[in-house]
Amino acid sequence: MARYAMLIDASRCTGCGACRVACQMQHQLPPNMSFNRLEFRERGIFPTVKQEIVPVQCMHCDNPPCLHVCPTNATYKRSDGIVLVDHDKCIGCKYCMTACPYDARTLNEKRVPEKCKFCSEYVVQGQEPPCASTCMCSVRIFGDLDDPDSEISKAMAKKSVYQLIPEKGTRPRIYYVKK
Amino acid sequence: MAVKKFNRRTFIKAAAASGVVGSVPMYLSLADHKKVASEEPLKKVWSQCNGCASMCSKAVYSKNNRLWKVEGHPLHLKSGGRLCARGHGMAADVYNTSRVTQPMKRVGDTFEPISWEQAFSEIGEKLGKIVEEHKGDSVLWVEHGPRGKFYADILLDLIGSPNYCTHYSTCFTSKTNVWPKMVGDSLAADHENANYLLFVGRNFGGGIIPNGMNKIHKAIERGAKLVVVDPKYNEMAKIAHDWVPIRPGTDLAFYLGLAHTLISENLYDRNFVNRNVLGFSEFWEANKTASADWASEVTGIPADKIREIARDMAASAPKAILEPGWHGLNCHYVNSTQTAQMNVILNALVGNFYKIGGLYPGQDIPFGSVDRKMPPFKRKGERADGAGVKGKFPTVEPGRGIAQITPQLVEEGLIKAVFIYHYNPLRTAPNPEYQKKIKDAELVVVIPTDWNETAVHTAHYILPEDYYLERTETPRNNSGHLAHIYPQISIRAKALDPIHDTKPLREIVAGICEAMGYEGYFNFTIEDEVKAALSTVEGLTPERLYEEGTIEFTTHFMEGVPLEFKTSTKKINFKVPEYEANGFSGVPTWVPPATWPKEENEFRLIHGKQPWHSHSITANNPYLMAITKAYNGEWMWMNKVRADKLGIKNGDTVTVQSSVSTKQAKVKVTELVHPDCVWISNSYGNFSERQKDGYGVGVNFNDFLELQVEPMAGGTNSQEIIVKITKGVS
Ligand code: SF4
Ligand code: SF4
Ligand code: SF4
Repeated sequence: MARYAMLIDASRCTGCGACRVACQMQHQLPPNMSFNRLEFRERGIFPTVKQEIVPVQCMHCDNPPCLHVCPTNATYKRSDGIVLVDHDKCIGCKYCMTACPYDARTLNEKRVPEKCKFCSEYVVQGQEPPCASTCMCSVRIFGDLDDPDSEISKAMAKKSVYQLIPEKGTRPRIYYVKK
Repeated sequence: MAVKKFNRRTFIKAAAASGVVGSVPMYLSLADHKKVASEEPLKKVWSQCNGCASMCSKAVYSKNNRLWKVEGHPLHLKSGGRLCARGHGMAADVYNTSRVTQPMKRVGDTFEPISWEQAFSEIGEKLGKIVEEHKGDSVLWVEHGPRGKFYADILLDLIGSPNYCTHYSTCFTSKTNVWPKMVGDSLAADHENANYLLFVGRNFGGGIIPNGMNKIHKAIERGAKLVVVDPKYNEMAKIAHDWVPIRPGTDLAFYLGLAHTLISENLYDRNFVNRNVLGFSEFWEANKTASADWASEVTGIPADKIREIARDMAASAPKAILEPGWHGLNCHYVNSTQTAQMNVILNALVGNFYKIGGLYPGQDIPFGSVDRKMPPFKRKGERADGAGVKGKFPTVEPGRGIAQITPQLVEEGLIKAVFIYHYNPLRTAPNPEYQKKIKDAELVVVIPTDWNETAVHTAHYILPEDYYLERTETPRNNSGHLAHIYPQISIRAKALDPIHDTKPLREIVAGICEAMGYEGYFNFTIEDEVKAALSTVEGLTPERLYEEGTIEFTTHFMEGVPLEFKTSTKKINFKVPEYEANGFSGVPTWVPPATWPKEENEFRLIHGKQPWHSHSITANNPYLMAITKAYNGEWMWMNKVRADKLGIKNGDTVTVQSSVSTKQAKVKVTELVHPDCVWISNSYGNFSERQKDGYGVGVNFNDFLELQVEPMAGGTNSQEIIVKITKGVS
C-alpha cells in the first residue's frame, strides 16, 4: 500500500502562482477558488530584509480533525492516506472548515467544502500533481513514503523537516524542509 | 538562395513527450461550454505558449474541442517541462468574454459587426486611395514583433512602404542596439554552468523564464553565488546570497565602479582584451576617476560591496556572468544605452565570451521559405519615424523603428494609414491620452484577439485574429536568453478549432492585398509554409515535428573566440564607431538620469514584472487577476520610512501626480524597496471597459510617462518619471 506525502522546500519558492493555476486547470476550478495558497512575510529592516513565502494546502493529516467532526462521514481517509470529501454525503454544515487548523478548505459553487485532493485519481496512475510538476523552482516533491526508492523518501532521509502547527496533533502528510 | 541541407544526424528524444494520456477531466463551468460526452477521446496537441515572448512548447489537452489543461514540454529550452501561471491561465483565455468575435467597423463611438468580405473591400479601397495620394511611405505597420513580419512585408513591399515597426523601442532597445555594434552577435548566458551570477535589473522570477529559474537553482545547488542588484527586492532576490539595493537610475555608475576595480586592481582578462578589443585605452582614459568610491556616492551601494563584487567576479572568471538582461534598464533612462554598453564591457573584462559557464550565441538551424510570387520592386522613401535616417535618429535600428511616436507621425501628417497587429500601444506606450491620436489617421486597422484599449479607442476596423491555440504557425528556433549548446526547434500547431469568426494573420493580410488588386501573392497554405521551412532539415517531416512538438539536434556549440567579430571593425568595440560618427561618445561615460526626486513627497516611479502577469493582456485574465486580488498585486510599493514621513499606512489610497496625469493608487508599505522610489507592476491600469477583469484595476507607469525618445537607441526613458504622492484623494 502506498503512503502518499509531500515535501515542500519553501525557501525555494518565489511566489509565482503557477501551482495555483495548474491545479485549477487540472481540477477545472473557477478563477477565485484555489486548493493551494501562499503566505508572504517580511523579516528585517531595509536594506537587511528577507522575504519568506510558504505554500500551504490541505495537509492530508494522518489524524484529520476535519474528518472527526464530520457528522455524515462525507470526509474520509483513503487507505493510501489521502483525505477526500464525498460530495453526495456532504450536507454543507461546514464543521470541517472550522476544524481545519490550516484553513485549507474552500466552498465550491454548490457550497460543498472542497480542498486539495492530492490529485487522488491521477497519482494512482503514477502522474505527478501539477502543482509539483509545473513549479520552476522544484518546491514540492510528491511521492510514496513506503517506497524507499521514491524521490521523496530519499530527500526526507537527507533533510531535516518540520510540519505546520504540530501542537494540534494532526500529523500532517505535508512536510517542510528546515533551513 | 539555396540553403544548405542541415544534417540532423540524430534527434534527441524527449523521454516524457509521448505518454499515455490519463483519466477523464471535468469541465470548466463556463455557461457557453457544456459538458461533452465522456466517451470522447482526449486529444493532445503540441502548441507554443503566448503568455509571454518565451513561447514555451506545451501540450494542449482537449476534448470535443473543449480545452482541459496544458503541460510544459520537458525538452523546450525556456520551459524545461514547467509552465508559469501565465502559461496555464492564458490558455483558458480562449474563452475570455473580451475576445473580438468577428470583424468590426467603427460607427461613431461604437462598433458594428461586418463581414470579412466587406471589411477587406472597404480597407482595400481606402488603402488604395491613400497610397495613390500620399505614396506607400505614408503607411505604417506596427506590431509586437516580429511574428507578423513575413506577411506584413508582403503588404509593405506591394505598396512600397519602409515603415515596419516593432514595440522594441518601448521594451529593450538599448540592449539590441548595442550588441551588434560592439560584438556583432547577441550572446546568452550559460547560468547553469557559471560560478558567479550577477543580475542587475533582470529577474527570471518576475519576467519569468521557467527553465531560467530552474537553471539558477541548479547553479546555486552546485555552489554558484547569486547576487541581485535591484532597487526592489525581486523574486530572484529571495533566493540570492545577496540583495544589493541600488538607487534607481544609477546602474551605469555601479557598472563603471566595477570596471574601475577590475582594471585598477589588474583583475581583468588582459589576454582576451588585448587580442579582441578596440578602444580599451579610450575607455579607461574616459573613466579613470569613476572609482568604486565615486560609484558608491552615486549609487548608495557601499564601496566595499562594489569592490567585493568585482573581485568575486574576477575570481570566478571566465565562469562569471553579468546577465545581459532584457527589458530592465534597456529603455529606462537617458543613460540606458551607455548602461547597455557597460554590460558588454564588463562581460568582456572577465573574458567570458564564447565560453561554457560564460556567454555564447544561440544555436539556430536555418529554415527554408515557401516558393511564392514576389512583389515587384517599388521605390521606398525614408522611414517616417527617422530610425536610421541622417539628421533624425541615425543610430536607431531601422528594422525596428520607434513605436512610441506613432501618434506624432499621424499628427504631423507623415502617416495616413496605421496597421496595428498583436500590440496595444494605448496601454504599453507612454502617455495613453496622446496615443489616442493614432485614431486621427485616415485609416486605422487593428488586428487583436481581444477588445484592448487600442482597438476600442483608435480602430476604424478591427480584424480579429484566431487565438493562439486555434492556429498553426511555422516552426521556430528556441534560442535566446538561455545559452544551450544544442539547437532546438518547436512548432505551434492548431490545438482547437476557432470558436469565433476569426482568421489567421496570413488570411487577413491576403484579404487586404487581394482587395487592392494584388493577386497571387498568397498562393500557399500554412502547411506549404511548414513543409518549406523544414525542407532544409534532412529527414525531418512536418508530421514528426507535430508529433514531438520540440526537436533537439546533436550538432552543437563548441567553445572558442572567433578570429573575427561581425562588427564594423571586426573587433569587440569598447568604443563604438557608429555612435562616434553621429556625434555621440563612442565609449560610455557617466550620464546622470534626466530627472531626480527632490521634495519630501517626490519619488521616482519604477516598474517591473510580477510573476503572474506579462503585459496588459494578462491583466484581463480571470485566473491571473484572481491572484492579483488575493495578494493585492496592483498596490504601489513604498518604503516604510518614506511612508511614515507622509503618514501613509499599508492599504491607504494615495494621489499620484506626474507632469502627465494625476491618479489614485493603493499603497503597500514595505521594507522591500529602495526609499527613493515607488514600484508598481507593469501590467495594470487597463481602461478598456470591454475587459471585464482588468478594467479599472491599478495604475500603469505609462499613465505618468511623457513621450520621449532616447536619441541613441530610441527608447522611451520609461523610468524618467518623478511623481508627487499625497495621502488620500486630492
Ligand atoms: S509554482 Fe513553485 S515557485 Fe511558484 S508559487 Fe508555486 S511553489 Fe512557489
Ligand atoms: S496535489 Fe493536486 S489537488 Fe492538491 S494542490 Fe496540488 S495539484 Fe492541487
Ligand atoms: S514563460 Fe510562462 S507565459 Fe512565457 S511562454 Fe513560458 S509558460 Fe508561457
